[in-house]
Amino acid sequence: MKKMILATLLTLCSASAAAHTLWVLPSHFVLSSEDSWISVDVSAANMTFVADKGVSPANLSIVFPDGQRQAFAQSYQGKRKSQADHQLTMDGTYRIELGGPARYFTFFQEDGQRRRIMANKQERAAQLPANATNVVTTRSRGRALSYVSVNAPNQTALALSNDGLELKLLTHPADVVATEPVRWQFVLDGKPVADVQVELSREGELYRDDAGREVLSSDANGYLTFTPQVPGRYVIEASVQLDSSNALADQVRESLTLTFEAALP
Amino acid sequence: MRSLLFTAALLLGLGLIAPASKAQELTISLELPVIETAQYYRPYVAVWVEDEAQQPVRLIALWRKEPDWLKDIRRFWRKIGRSETELVDARTGATRTPGRYQLSWDGLDDAGQPLPAGEYTVFVEASREQGGRSLQRQSFQWGGAAQHYTQEAMPELGELKITLN
Repeated sequence: MKKMILATLLTLCSASAAAHTLWVLPSHFVLSSEDSWISVDVSAANMTFVADKGVSPANLSIVFPDGQRQAFAQSYQGKRKSQADHQLTMDGTYRIELGGPARYFTFFQEDGQRRRIMANKQERAAQLPANATNVVTTRSRGRALSYVSVNAPNQTALALSNDGLELKLLTHPADVVATEPVRWQFVLDGKPVADVQVELSREGELYRDDAGREVLSSDANGYLTFTPQVPGRYVIEASVQLDSSNALADQVRESLTLTFEAALP
Repeated sequence: MRSLLFTAALLLGLGLIAPASKAQELTISLELPVIETAQYYRPYVAVWVEDEAQQPVRLIALWRKEPDWLKDIRRFWRKIGRSETELVDARTGATRTPGRYQLSWDGLDDAGQPLPAGEYTVFVEASREQGGRSLQRQSFQWGGAAQHYTQEAMPELGELKITLN
């Protein structure tokens, strides 16, 4: 599990943030005024929303309610967290997304050492040493997401790309309310994926003896069902590792975090 | 005439005609408490009715100013405000000073259509800048016998009195 997170984080940020959970945290999840600005914190840390490592905002973008993707108007990489600002000029639901394209790593043994090169299955032959053994190519990617709604929420920015690990948000993020059940579905490359391991945590861990994290899993059809018990800001962290032999990789490793709020009932 | 009345009473008793035709009225008496504080801003207040499925059926009152803070009337915003722009505009009234206010509901929905008898819930939600948020709720049987309820005072709302005649 730790290794998987590490591998995925490597695709997103420097190795210094390894084994930390990467999240995006918007200043607001709900807004009722046109042309509002939003500020987004990006950090990687062990405790939920206790900033630890600032992560490059280079791969941070925002999908507008009409589906258009924009870069943030301004951003800053800090030591403990990075911040980005953008003006939300239309009504509807926005997706804040940190994550680049999938990357390919080929792992192998050479002279008893485990090594790694950045190459997919087609590229690896030219780069691998002649005595390489146990060669496995992994497609790796991580995403950190959050959704913000201005006035009436809509569905456009919730659309799936059918590329990598994603969540089908059957319960709209703007409709997540404490004590009410949430139902989402994990899909990998557009297909439901069973047994995705999920950790659900919420803010305030520093001030509780028991962090109160919940370990969940998607069911046979990819559905994840849970009920946030108290209002507040939550993050779910999910990861999958699957054998998936295709032209470019032998294996898929994907991780995803989603930051959301459970509203007051 | 007497037999007509008798028949009507009988049908009512059997629940065969809509009791809403009795011209029932729900009276809502709410209070905005006096709050001693250095910087007092009038609360934003919403009063509405939801049906048994927790769907809003009628927005009764909305006292507010700037749109920025509408979202802070949390349940109102999620249930009505964020998507019913015209309704919000139509029902918007000025914010009020502390005091007791009486509102009523005639059993009609937001489109002016009578609602069937059944269980409904009236909500009163108040949110104050540099203050807190209080939500009072009271379920009642529309079409049922006369009812009277009180909900205890909360930090941003005084005692709520609901009467169904």
